[in-house]
Amino acid sequence: MLLKTFDPLKGKQLRIMDENGEIVDEKNMPELTDDQVVEAYKYMLYARQVDLKAVAYQRMGRLFTLPPNLGQEAAAFGSAYALDKKKDWMVPAFREMAAWLYWGATAKDLYLYWAGSEDGNVTPDDVNFMPSAVPVASQVPHAAGLGYSIKYKGTDQVVITYFGDGGTSEGDFHEGMNFAGVFKLPVIFFCNNNQYAISVPRRMQSAAKNLADKAIGYGMPGIQVDGNDFFAVYAATKEAAEYARDGNGPVMIEAETYRRGYHTTSDDPTKYRTAEEEAEWEKKDPLIRMKKYLEKKGLWDDDKENDYVKHAKKDISAQFKEVEEYPRTSLEQIFKYMYEEMPDILKKQKVEMEKYLAGKEGR
Amino acid sequence: MLYVFKFPDIGEGIHEGKILKWHVKKGQEVMEGDPVVNVETDKVVTDIPIPKDGVIKNTYGKEGEVINVGDALVEMEVEGEEAEEEAEVKAPPKEGREAEGEPASRTEVAKAKTKTKKIEEKGFGVVGQIEEADTDAFLPATGEGMEAQAAVAAEKEPGRKALATPVARKMAMDLGIDINTVRGTGPAGRVMKEDIKKAFDEKQAGPKVARKPGKIEIPAEAEDMVEVEELTQIRKTIINRMVQSKFTAPHATAFEEVEVSRLVELRKEKKEELAEQGVKLSYMPFIIKAVSLALRRHKSLNCKLDMENNRVIYQKFYNIGFATDTPEGLMVPVIKNADRKSIIEIAESIKDLSDRARERKIQLDELKGGTFSITNYGSIAGTYGVPVINYPEVAILGVGRIVQRPVVKGGEIVPGNVLPLSMSFDHRIVDGADAARFIKDLMAMLADPLTMLMM
Ligand SMILES: Cc1ncc(C[n+]2csc(CCOP(=O)(O)OP(=O)(O)O)c2C)c(N)n1
Repeated sequence: MLLKTFDPLKGKQLRIMDENGEIVDEKNMPELTDDQVVEAYKYMLYARQVDLKAVAYQRMGRLFTLPPNLGQEAAAFGSAYALDKKKDWMVPAFREMAAWLYWGATAKDLYLYWAGSEDGNVTPDDVNFMPSAVPVASQVPHAAGLGYSIKYKGTDQVVITYFGDGGTSEGDFHEGMNFAGVFKLPVIFFCNNNQYAISVPRRMQSAAKNLADKAIGYGMPGIQVDGNDFFAVYAATKEAAEYARDGNGPVMIEAETYRRGYHTTSDDPTKYRTAEEEAEWEKKDPLIRMKKYLEKKGLWDDDKENDYVKHAKKDISAQFKEVEEYPRTSLEQIFKYMYEEMPDILKKQKVEMEKYLAGKEGR
Repeated sequence: MLYVFKFPDIGEGIHEGKILKWHVKKGQEVMEGDPVVNVETDKVVTDIPIPKDGVIKNTYGKEGEVINVGDALVEMEVEGEEAEEEAEVKAPPKEGREAEGEPASRTEVAKAKTKTKKIEEKGFGVVGQIEEADTDAFLPATGEGMEAQAAVAAEKEPGRKALATPVARKMAMDLGIDINTVRGTGPAGRVMKEDIKKAFDEKQAGPKVARKPGKIEIPAEAEDMVEVEELTQIRKTIINRMVQSKFTAPHATAFEEVEVSRLVELRKEKKEELAEQGVKLSYMPFIIKAVSLALRRHKSLNCKLDMENNRVIYQKFYNIGFATDTPEGLMVPVIKNADRKSIIEIAESIKDLSDRARERKIQLDELKGGTFSITNYGSIAGTYGVPVINYPEVAILGVGRIVQRPVVKGGEIVPGNVLPLSMSFDHRIVDGADAARFIKDLMAMLADPLTMLMM
């Protein structure tokens, strides 16, 4: 039982594969076929291309501000892959792109959203995830609420929600965790500790030794994993899901990872961290180590990689083209989604905006 | 065909960036996504990738140079899509160009390109939206010395809401600047923090009085014959307020005379009585009281005109300002709710407020909130005047010196005491008849102070 052995208070971290792609904890290695492992790698590689392209498009002025994912693919994907996307719920923050793509979002959806269209946030009825939550940690109580409804209905679903190290300082984090703990709700609280909340380093975020320690205060198991190790993330989430599905209540997972890119495209990380630190973490990159692992097993090589990346880029460009041809967000859309009936205050704002825009065009 | 890549807004509303390093040269072949230039903005230092495959024809801007969002950055030859508009593209406006062979300024090129629709990125390119930024979007270009007028014009333009970030709004608020009057230099006329800072500095430096009559110079030979004084803060405020009032509210002025012998007697009678209690009783308390009571019956003289929202706000409180002469200049303390105060209370307030105004101990909020003002120049000298409305109030009463004069009463010529009144009003909202009716009521009360008991 991972959740027993990896007591956060003992400062233990689950790591199965090291930076060189060596399996260092054979005992806890999850049962996955070679095909599944290759599939997982491809997903992460694809997500990385979507991410890199997004930043490039943004730098050309073709997308608005967006949060890069570079370096966090294993945490996002490994956890999502351990659940049943057909029935479980995913409640995201805004930096788990690989999980979104796995759960059923397309690159087009993501790009549409960053191009200012809410349509990118719309999911088909049979896709169970919530829209992006930019207000930090606001999604945590939502996840608890979803968990509550599942418990009420008695289905065997679970919910996973993502938030950052910064998110743990929010009141919403406390409320969601506490509620889920008290009612033993089937929720996995997945913390992407990427070391920074914009410029605030992890050590300034909490005096707790590990963020996973916080689980204890809410009466739930917590576990810290190497967030750049796909296998560790997968194994821990798999077990957490079983635990929650069996009616034992919530689990908190802290995935230790690193945001290798900007906080958002409007951020300059050189102002608050060193090149040495970035280089250190580059060595720990989740894709690099996974590739090494696959190469050693003879499942992957450079040719395959180049081929796949080329193919992915083509696919992504085609989707981006659709986004650029997509109708512009109308003013109406900006105001219409929050309430079924637009309240007067919004109507007034809309009229003001129309006037303003009309004035601008008239000149 | 030729394609022009313009410097995009790559932050949240940045408007300029500094070129740190060019990665490409003229004639170089590039692929979509290749970094072409490294720039530094308020927010980031980053490479800018190129959106298309092609050959670089021209790069604009040297390393170290600051460029604006929307400026042409790279001109390139791209495959496909016809090139019919090329001729036009190659002939950017010639005017103002310096030496032969000098490339057109980026803005010129950008403008020329913008006109040639064919080569514009279509779809919702974020840049496409921002490049249309026209810094003159809100105000006509202002000439030397015209800023004050322009500012007034901006203020009057109904419905004009400045585009700005919350940070900028907060900054403006903290500095006491009305952001809607600031000329924005950012994208789409957005008011930037620098604009606010500039507006603040200008405000600190004092008003640039509208219509400068020309430079005022002191001839060297006259230097000993003049005394030069810096404008005080109070004087600058007065200047601003006067200009604002006169350029905003079309003034009309009505004149009247009231025979106030009864008032003169009453005051004489009470004056000594009250002097014993330490209260100095002038005519002002009577006039203030009468005005406040008359205002209750004539709402259009106690209103504010809100052009921004196309509405009139009738105020149901009667706060009367009275002009006070202080060593520093004119100040207008306000007696709040004068209609509900007794004449003695008003007398006490006047003394207290004007003493403190002269000693500069008056609080800011005691100078604010007026709904109507009175200026009593008659206490010094003067019969009639054309007082300037204390904008955004809509009327001001000028009170002249009471003169003893023969008047006709019941067919007889008798000695009388005549009080001259001059009232200016904002003719946009106060019609002449309204003003006359108000004055009529006011006269009745001043002619017979007992009438006030009935109101
Ligand atoms: C309630 C709230 N406060 C502030 C912000 C601005 N903000 C956006 S992301 C962020 C930092 C979040 O850090 P973390 O939770 O660690 O997630 P990360 O961005 O590192 O993925 C902040 C402060 C916000 N979006 N919502």
